[in-house]
Amino acid sequence: MAESPSVANPDANSTVSRKRRKIDPDSPTRILAETGPTRWRTQAEQQIYSSKLMGALRHIRRPDSGGHAAVRDAADRVLAISARGKTRWSRAILTNRLSLRLAHINRKHKKAAKPSAGKSRPRKPAVLQKKLPPVQSKVKVLSRLVPGCRKVSLPNLLEETTDYIAALEMQVKAMTFITGLLNAGQNFTSS
Amino acid sequence: MEPNVKAVQPQFRSGISGPKPGGMGFVFDDIHGLIPGPPETDGTSFTALLELPPPQAVELLVMEDFPAKSMPPPIFPSNIALSDRASMFSIFASADNPPDSTNIISASSSMKIDSVKQEPLESEHHRNSSSPAVSNQSLKSIKRKEREKKVKESSKKSKKLEANEASDGSGEQLPYVHVRARRGQATDSHSLAERARREKINARMKLLQDLVPGCNKISGTAMVLDEIINHVQALQRQVEFLSMRLAAVNPRIDFNLDALLAAESESSIDNSYLGMFPPSIWLEGQLNGSRQQQSWLIDGVHPSRVDDTSNFITPDNSLLSYDSPPNSVSLHSSQLKMEL
Repeated sequence: MAESPSVANPDANSTVSRKRRKIDPDSPTRILAETGPTRWRTQAEQQIYSSKLMGALRHIRRPDSGGHAAVRDAADRVLAISARGKTRWSRAILTNRLSLRLAHINRKHKKAAKPSAGKSRPRKPAVLQKKLPPVQSKVKVLSRLVPGCRKVSLPNLLEETTDYIAALEMQVKAMTFITGLLNAGQNFTSS
Repeated sequence: MEPNVKAVQPQFRSGISGPKPGGMGFVFDDIHGLIPGPPETDGTSFTALLELPPPQAVELLVMEDFPAKSMPPPIFPSNIALSDRASMFSIFASADNPPDSTNIISASSSMKIDSVKQEPLESEHHRNSSSPAVSNQSLKSIKRKEREKKVKESSKKSKKLEANEASDGSGEQLPYVHVRARRGQATDSHSLAERARREKINARMKLLQDLVPGCNKISGTAMVLDEIINHVQALQRQVEFLSMRLAAVNPRIDFNLDALLAAESESSIDNSYLGMFPPSIWLEGQLNGSRQQQSWLIDGVHPSRVDDTSNFITPDNSLLSYDSPPNSVSLHSSQLKMEL
């Protein structure tokens, strides 16, 4: 399933990149390859991400519990680093998630027995449900999904989402590949 | 000549309204031969105009001071509509009378081809009034100029939009958004700004639709947003699962060096990434099994390892092919140490 999103729109990718080139013909193509969501599709980008992820995985502390959260965090952080700070979600990941996640893990360790009931933010009481524009509510949901984009205007949010989706697809591809490699290597050497 | 003209006239009308607006450039040559004088008394100046090539005829019309110039606006409702449209365009905002006629002509020349349908209406009113070929000739020149300028205008509009989008993508700082109003749309500043905003949003939604598979057939913003949300959630879940699997794989890497070396020397190994990876896996196992302080060991060992592994790398299907010199690899890991 990881392959299907990338295979489904190869022509879309080319049209998008063609459209960008038509706008800006005289700027060097290197800069063009770096802007826009199409940069995530290049093989070079995937290689960069994979090598950085491998390096990051080595630095993970020996997981006592919640190991996959640390891996996921590392993967997201490496993805944000690969974004080179041009997008809002990458900056948000780098500044927020680290401290948030660590605090969350610490809290999970301390309050392992107690169910954390009062942890979630108190929602607005459902007295006045002004959700009539369905588009607006969906936009809110989307802004919650993309990190760091809660109070962003709609066109910017859409742009961030484009980049975020492209980056996520690249991340899934790279992680699948690495997992496959590690599994294969493990199976091979353990047998 | 008169009966000829009358017979030709219905053909001319069908000839005008028949073809599509796109390929009208050549039709005018036919029309030029076919142009019927509307059955008025004032045929002499009109036929004299007909013999001239069209631009000069228009110039003559524009330059001459027709006594009936003030008449067309009140008499012909279509001309009133023309003047309305002239006022609609923010560019043609002049109110004087002499420039008004030129503005009407040039404004209507930038209109779309739908004004062709007014032509029958126009010729009806021609018969009613005594004002001669002014409006008819102006309409013909209008049609010709429409065809010439329609493509230019649409390209101008798209160019402006693309320029806006390019600068939007770069800095999101536009002092003014120049959007030309299309025919039949309001032109006050609020609706212009709204339209620009909506067009920006629609452009980005189209990009998103290209990115998310299966969104091309769906119409409607809400459904597309639904699909986008589902896609993002699915991708995030995938990342979650993959990170679980990676975490499962990582701590279990604890190999013996002998087993690895024995595996490497086997000839049945495919010399692709499979062959490349056991050494690095061994390195990872070393690190994860042992203490963290020995990470520098990896950096020290890695350059030598890279030389070994470069033999196994096939450049096309290896993900981690280190084309760059081995120093950059240690650079990467040291960079990560800094950043993390």
